[in-house]
Amino acid sequence: MGDRVAIVSVAQSPGAESKDNFYDQAYRAARECLDKAGLGREDVDTVVSASSDIFHGGISCANAYYWDTTGAFLKNASRQDGESLFAFMYAVMRIMTGQYETALVISLCKGSENPPNDACTLMFADPFYQRDVGLTETVAAALQMNLYMERYGVTREQCAAVAAKNLGNALKNPYAHRKGKYTVSDILRSPTLADPLTELQAAPKSEGMLAMLLAGEAKARKLTDKPVWFKGYGSSLDTYTLGDRDLLRGELTRAAKRAYDMAGIKNPKEGIDVAEICEPYAFQELLWSEDLGFCGAGEGGKFLESGATQIGGSLPINPSGGVLANNPYVSRGLQRLIEATLQLRGEAGEHQVPKSVKTALAHGTHGFAGQCHAVAIIGR
Amino acid sequence: MGRAVGIVGVGQTHHGKRMEISYPDLVREAVVRVFEDTGLSPRDIDGVVSGTMPSMMEGIALTHFYFADAMQAVGKPILKTETCGSTGVSIAHTAYYWISSGMADCVLAVGHEKMNEGDAQATMTTVVEPFYQRFFIAGAPGVFSMQSQMWAERYGIPQEKIREAAAHISVEHHEAAFANPYAHMKIHVTMDDVKNARLITYPVRLLDVCPTSDGACAVIFMSEEKAKQLGRPVAWVKGVGYRGEEYFFGDSDKGVWQSAVGAAKQAYDQAGIKNPRKELDVAEVYNPFTFQEMLFYECFGFCDLGQSPDLVLKGVFDRTGELPCDPSGGTLCTNPIGATGLVRVAEAALQVMGRAGDHQIAGAKLALSHAMGGVDQFNGVMIVGSEL
Repeated sequence: MGDRVAIVSVAQSPGAESKDNFYDQAYRAARECLDKAGLGREDVDTVVSASSDIFHGGISCANAYYWDTTGAFLKNASRQDGESLFAFMYAVMRIMTGQYETALVISLCKGSENPPNDACTLMFADPFYQRDVGLTETVAAALQMNLYMERYGVTREQCAAVAAKNLGNALKNPYAHRKGKYTVSDILRSPTLADPLTELQAAPKSEGMLAMLLAGEAKARKLTDKPVWFKGYGSSLDTYTLGDRDLLRGELTRAAKRAYDMAGIKNPKEGIDVAEICEPYAFQELLWSEDLGFCGAGEGGKFLESGATQIGGSLPINPSGGVLANNPYVSRGLQRLIEATLQLRGEAGEHQVPKSVKTALAHGTHGFAGQCHAVAIIGR
Repeated sequence: MGRAVGIVGVGQTHHGKRMEISYPDLVREAVVRVFEDTGLSPRDIDGVVSGTMPSMMEGIALTHFYFADAMQAVGKPILKTETCGSTGVSIAHTAYYWISSGMADCVLAVGHEKMNEGDAQATMTTVVEPFYQRFFIAGAPGVFSMQSQMWAERYGIPQEKIREAAAHISVEHHEAAFANPYAHMKIHVTMDDVKNARLITYPVRLLDVCPTSDGACAVIFMSEEKAKQLGRPVAWVKGVGYRGEEYFFGDSDKGVWQSAVGAAKQAYDQAGIKNPRKELDVAEVYNPFTFQEMLFYECFGFCDLGQSPDLVLKGVFDRTGELPCDPSGGTLCTNPIGATGLVRVAEAALQVMGRAGDHQIAGAKLALSHAMGGVDQFNGVMIVGSEL
C-alpha cells in the first residue's frame, strides 16, 4: 500500500432541522472544514461525496445538485451512494495511489426535506414480493430484535437501556438532534413502532452535512499537529432476501475482521479504546458489539449492564449519543468517524471519554437488518 | 503513480428491450459472462463496485442491496459509485483507484439499467431542481439541443452543415452496430431518413437520439501482478480523468465545455498523450446525441474548435478513418444508462486486446473511452492501451 493517510480536520452540522437551505448548510460544513485546515477550495485535489437520491428531497442525481457547493467545481471528484464510510474509503484510496495529496469527504443529507425514513427504506424492498407487505428498515429491525431476544434471552429492558444511555450521552453533544434523560421505563412506554420496537428505540430523521479533510502523510504533517491516521477498513454485503439470512449472523463479523486485520488488531476489546457504532435501533448496539468482538455472542446485554460501554467505562460506545441521537441517514457512518476523530484528538468537549484514546472504531450500516456494514479504524 | 491496473475481461448482456428477463437476471447475465470470459470465479474477487442511475429510474433504491446476489457480491467488500450518466465510467475509475491504491488485487465493476421498466425522461426531469430549471429543462434532449445550438452559433457553423454532419454520424453508427452482437438498434438508415425523422427538439431528430435500452455490463480489473499471471491479453489503464461543473445550466459555457476539456486533459497527461488524433487508435465517445458527439471531438482535442463537422464529413471519424469513433455503434445505438459508460470502457478494452470481433479496428493499441452526465455537467475519460 502507498502513503499513510490522515484525517486533518472535520466539521458537522447540527442534527436538528435547520432553516438554512441545502446549499448554505452544505457550504458551511465544507467551508468550516477547510478553514480549520487553513486551506482554500483550490488547495483540495479531489472531493468524494456521499448521498442517496432516495434521501434527497425528491431531486434525482443528488451529486449534480450540490456539486458546486462541495468545492468540486472542475475537480476530479466522485460520489458514493448509501453509506458515507464508502466515500471516506474511496477518498483514502485516491490518496494512497499517490495521485492526490488532499481529499475532501462530504456527506449530505437534509432530513427535514425528506419524507419519513421508512417511506424511503420501503423503496429498498423489491416491488414484487416485499414492498406490498410493507417491509421497511424498522419492520426488518423488529424481526431481528425478536429473534435476538428469543435466541439469547436478551431482555427488552437491556435493549431499552441502550437508548437511555445514548440519549443521555447526547445531552453532552451540541450537535445531537434527539437527547434527554430517560429511564428504561420511559423508553419502553413510548409508542410502539413495530413490536417490540418502541419510538425511543428507533433513530429520528436528522440533518447531516458533514465534511472531513484527508491528506497524505507529508501534507498532513504540514496542515495539523494532531493528525489522526487511517488504520483499517472493511466492508461486506449480505444476501438480499431477509428470509435467506440468519439475521443474527450477519456480515458485520466479516467486515470487522477485514478492518482489524488491516489495522493489526488481534483482540478488539483491548485494541479499541472507543467505538462509535451505527445503531438506528437500540438493540443493534448490543448485537453489533458482539459482531465487533467486544463481547461474546448473546452477551451484548450483559456487556452493557457491566457499565463497560458508558462514557466512563472500559470500552465506551457512542459517547456522542450515536445514531439514536442523530440520524442523517446516509451521513451517519461518516458522523461516527467524525466523532471518533474528535475523541482521538481530545476535542469531544463534554462527551470526551475520560480514558486515554489511541485507537477508535467507527461503524456504518444500511439496509434491512444490516444488509451492508462498513467499519473504519483510526488512531493517533 | 500508484500500481498499474489492467482490464482482463468483460461481460455484456445482449442490450435491447429485454422484457422477458427480470432486472436481477439481466445483471446476472453480464456478471456470468465476465466470469466465463476470464475463467475467474467469484472467489477471486476482492471487491465489487456497483452503480446505476437514480432510484426513480430503477424503481428500487440503493440497488446494491437488490443485486447483491446477482453481482456475486455477497460477503464481499462493496463500493457504490453513482454520478448520473457518467456512472459507468465512474465505476471503472473506482475499480482502478481501488487496485492502484494497493487495497485490492481484483475488482469486479458492474453497471446496469432496465430502462424499459422505468421512465428515463421523467427521471431526468427530476435531476433539475423544482424551482428554476425544471419547467424548461424537461428530460435530456432539451439540454443537449440548447448546447448544440450554442456551439454552432459560437463558431458560425451553418445549420445545414451541422445537420449534414450529424446525419453522417447517425448513418455511420447505425451501420456499425450491425457488427456488434450486443448492440440494441440494428437498423439501416439513410441520410434522408435522418434528416426527415420526427423532430424531437430542434435540431435533434429521432435518429439523432439514442434508444431506451435494457442492459448490463461487468468488467474485471486486476493488479499488474495478477493480470500477468492470467496469460491473456490485458487492456492496461493508461489515463483517468474526470471533471464536473456548475449545476445551473446557464452558469457555464457549454460551447467550450470545460468539464470535457479538463477530463480529457487529465487522462492525456497521465497517459503521456500529446496529439490525441494521431496517437489514439480508436475512441468510444459517449454519444447519446449526434450533434453533441461533434462537440466532444473538439473538447477532446481530436480537432480544432468549430472544425469537427468538416472532418466528420471527410470521414475522419468513420470506422475506416484516421480516428475511428464508436465502432461499436456507440451510445447512439445502445443506451442502458447506468451501464453505458462501462460499456464504453469495455469496448475500448476489447479493441486494444484485439478481441472486438467483427467491429475490431485492426491494430488498435490505444483507445479512449468516455461518459457524460448530470445536467450537462460531468465528463469522465478512461484511456486503455495494449502495452503497460
